[in-house]
Amino acid sequence: MKVIIDDKEFEAEYGEYILDVARRNGIHIPTLCHSDAVPGQGSCRLCIVEVYERGKNKVVVSCLYPITGEIKVYTNSEKIHRMRRNIIRLLAARAPGSEYIKKLKEEYGIPEETRFKVDEKEKCVLCGLCVKACEKLGSMAISTVNRGATKKVAPPFEEPPVDCIGCTSCAHVCPTGAIEVREYEGKRVIWNRTFELLKCTSCGRYFITREQYEYMKNRHGIDMKELLCDRCRQKSTAEKLVSLYKKLLVKKTLFQCYRLQKD
Amino acid sequence: MNGMVQVPRRTVLVCCGTGCLANNSMEIYKKLKDKAAELESGFPVIPVLKATGCNGLCERGPIVQVLPDDIFYCKVSVSDVDEIFERTILKGDVIERLLYLDASSGKRVRSFKESEFYKKQFKIALRNIGQIDPSCIDDYIERGGYEALKKALFEMSPEQVISEIERSGLRGRGGAGFPTGYKWRQCSKTNDFPKYVVCNGDEGDPGAFMDRSIMEGDPHSVIEGMIIGAYAVGAEKGFIYIRDEYSLAVRNVSKAIEDAYIRGYLGRDIIGSGFSLDIEVVRGGGAFVCGESTALMASIEGRVGEPRVKYIRSTEKGLWGKPTVLNNVETWANVPVIITRGVEWFSSIGTEKSKGTKVFSLVGKVKNTGLIEVPMGMTLREIIFGIGGGIAGSGKFKAVQTGGPSGGCIPEALLDLPVDFDSLSDAGSMMGSGGMIVMDDRTCMVEVARYYLKFLSEESCGKCTPCREGIRRMLEVLEDICAGEGREEDIELLLELSETVKEASLCGLGKTAPNPVLTTIKYFESEYLAHIKEKRCPAGVCKKLTSYRINADLCRGCGLCAKRCPAGAISGKQGKIYEIDQGICTVCGTCREVCRFGAVEVAGRATE
Amino acid sequence: MHEKPGEGILKVKSILEKYPKERRYLLAILQDIQKTYNYLPREALNEVRDYLGIPLSSLYSMATFYKALSLKPKGRYVIKVCDGTACHIRGSLDIVEEIKKQLSISPGEVTKDGKFSLETVNCLGSCALAPVMVINDKYYGNLKPAMVKDILESTGD
Repeated sequence: MKVIIDDKEFEAEYGEYILDVARRNGIHIPTLCHSDAVPGQGSCRLCIVEVYERGKNKVVVSCLYPITGEIKVYTNSEKIHRMRRNIIRLLAARAPGSEYIKKLKEEYGIPEETRFKVDEKEKCVLCGLCVKACEKLGSMAISTVNRGATKKVAPPFEEPPVDCIGCTSCAHVCPTGAIEVREYEGKRVIWNRTFELLKCTSCGRYFITREQYEYMKNRHGIDMKELLCDRCRQKSTAEKLVSLYKKLLVKKTLFQCYRLQKD
Repeated sequence: MNGMVQVPRRTVLVCCGTGCLANNSMEIYKKLKDKAAELESGFPVIPVLKATGCNGLCERGPIVQVLPDDIFYCKVSVSDVDEIFERTILKGDVIERLLYLDASSGKRVRSFKESEFYKKQFKIALRNIGQIDPSCIDDYIERGGYEALKKALFEMSPEQVISEIERSGLRGRGGAGFPTGYKWRQCSKTNDFPKYVVCNGDEGDPGAFMDRSIMEGDPHSVIEGMIIGAYAVGAEKGFIYIRDEYSLAVRNVSKAIEDAYIRGYLGRDIIGSGFSLDIEVVRGGGAFVCGESTALMASIEGRVGEPRVKYIRSTEKGLWGKPTVLNNVETWANVPVIITRGVEWFSSIGTEKSKGTKVFSLVGKVKNTGLIEVPMGMTLREIIFGIGGGIAGSGKFKAVQTGGPSGGCIPEALLDLPVDFDSLSDAGSMMGSGGMIVMDDRTCMVEVARYYLKFLSEESCGKCTPCREGIRRMLEVLEDICAGEGREEDIELLLELSETVKEASLCGLGKTAPNPVLTTIKYFESEYLAHIKEKRCPAGVCKKLTSYRINADLCRGCGLCAKRCPAGAISGKQGKIYEIDQGICTVCGTCREVCRFGAVEVAGRATE
Repeated sequence: MHEKPGEGILKVKSILEKYPKERRYLLAILQDIQKTYNYLPREALNEVRDYLGIPLSSLYSMATFYKALSLKPKGRYVIKVCDGTACHIRGSLDIVEEIKKQLSISPGEVTKDGKFSLETVNCLGSCALAPVMVINDKYYGNLKPAMVKDILESTGD
């Protein structure tokens, strides 16, 4: 079916999201909470567009609005631009510490905040990707807590999370670099929990936590006699890599996430 | 009944709605019941005692009615019980001092139906409340209950039921006014099973208790409506989601469901029709956002009440991704009446686009606080000054807030606005679930906006940016204004943030959140300017912008203010003019409240 | 009046047994636990996790989202001051201020002796009696700040 975006006509499939069609055709719509690995958030609202459908005009989020009829889309109308600036201003006032947000702020020419009280250190914009990623990978160690203005992401009781395996998927999927990961002397610290790291059997580099390894072994029955880090794994024989990789991909293991993070 | 000589009965209805209960009505009921039990047999009258739901006139509670004499007693206390029993129940005498005193005429009236409060009302959703014992299914049946269900199941096809509701013009009573019949049709067209019907009883608007009263006072009307709806759309399972704070509603609805199962109105093969339905009660967890339909469904599923993007309607993908019809309590309670009395009757009530009636909780600075039901299209003036009896106390009407945190404040100039879905929306407010809060000149409109935004900042689920961050920042600005820290450009900023929050938020909570701010700026901008530019709160509410002065021309030197001042800030001698020490005064307003001569005046920020 | 945790884990088991092992009963289970203990003890949450197979993070998320649930013990007497609109414009915040002064606690807190906790709630549906507060199940209507002291003093164990 046809869809008109910014006065140009494009082909779309029934039910396809506006954002996907726009991206395919090189139209840039800014996003924050959107990730192909963990879709369906619709929370940051950065990707709003104006839609004209059946004589009506509305503001929708392009990442989740399915094209099911003839529509005209404006991705950067005056109104959208104004509101998107406001959203970025709000995000910047919340999380001034994030480099990504700083860049967006510059891009949209938003002046330094003088009206709102800001917390210079905060980086989290509460997009929810970390929670979604953790949920998808199966450990569900963190969640959103509280609600409204006091909402945040935290482990249960705000203590080092018992269910965490230290895989760092949350940190990698985070668009604003808000989740801190520290590594030193064979240890990894995330969410205030310290994990012991295991070495790659090939290059000897620390790369995986014991819990991560146990998790994959128990949950997916993968026995990894050869513990290979990402780099060594790629160097490994092509056939082995492909088959292992496929297997891992299907079973949604942690490696899938590593791969996604790199994308 | 048993072929014996009929002994006349006198039915005594004791209001046990929440308002009356808070005033000790349960004691009155128990005492009357004890007295009735003590009565020896062979007495010429049999008293039948019933604890009913809310009569609506909470201001005058506890309320006791005696039938068939139709005597209506207000503000009854436990000490009146003996007299009521001896004189009224046994002999039919009227106790004059307990009768309802009409605010406008100053006369006492014997029957509730003669009162100004009642006369202008039209009861559909509240038809049985106050007249029946909600825990007694026979009371409901006696007043025509479950007749609509029989008619629907045996004389109508699901298609006919839907078209009947469509033609009636019934619109959702939960707030937005979505056409109910259309919703049902969308769901019935979907070929995906199982389907669900849900009743939204998570009434969270502060200042609103319509749904609570219906669930407490007439639970079967809601259940009957849901069974009819389920039959129409092909659902086999229903949920009634009730706010956890409403313990009495939970109890009464649960009991009603149990009784409906026993009588065969619920369960397998309902009264031999072949149609089956189960209904379950789900207690809410105390989150305003769960009044939003998708958040409510998440909550029923045992999750955090975060709304989801609604580009695919719940009638297609609702509870557990299955087609779901969700209606509000009052909407469901309307359904049986429409089926029984017919479309022509129903659609003759109300306005062209808003059919039927609406229940409101009329509260705030109004004389007759309580629950009312009026035909759509009645003007605000008729409601507030007719039924409500006008402003309580010496204040002057300033605004009426409708629609709760999603609605807005309507000024005096618009008092002749007919109350229906569209007129209220056009005025920047909304019908909402039916809270109607009357405000007088001692209410600060900036502070009211701050109040609602504070409420919403806590009740927003926090998922999407505009709602979570936008409301928080708007609140920050409003708090500054109330504290005298407002800046000239703040009004402009509030308007701009409002647009973003309204348009870009994920769910209805955010999309309507700016309404209290937008309407107060629209109709009461001068108050904002007084706060921002003159550092003055004209209503004398914002403490940092208020000081009290004693007007020497009006002070009679009675000394009451000095006696009542909790801070000991007022000094003077009897017969002389009193004075307030601004350094000690805590701006509590007691002096202003107690002064009988209006001598305590509001001034701007105190200057030391 | 409320169960102490530890000695009452059996109570949790009996609550759990009333419900099938389905996620949709989670909120009801948590509410029942809250009613029994006056808060959600950690031991109880662990039991729920094991019974329903729901991770602790989700339980924590629920417990902090819904106002009916709390992770800290409440006072033996829970003071709920209504701050619904009708109460608000009739001065409910002055009542809150007075209670704060009398008990030295803010909304959400418990007195040191564990006797009182203070909460503000959105609407008790008793707007005709505004301003209203409820202490456990007892209503106090048409309040004035000056009445608060006496009411608190007359509330005893």
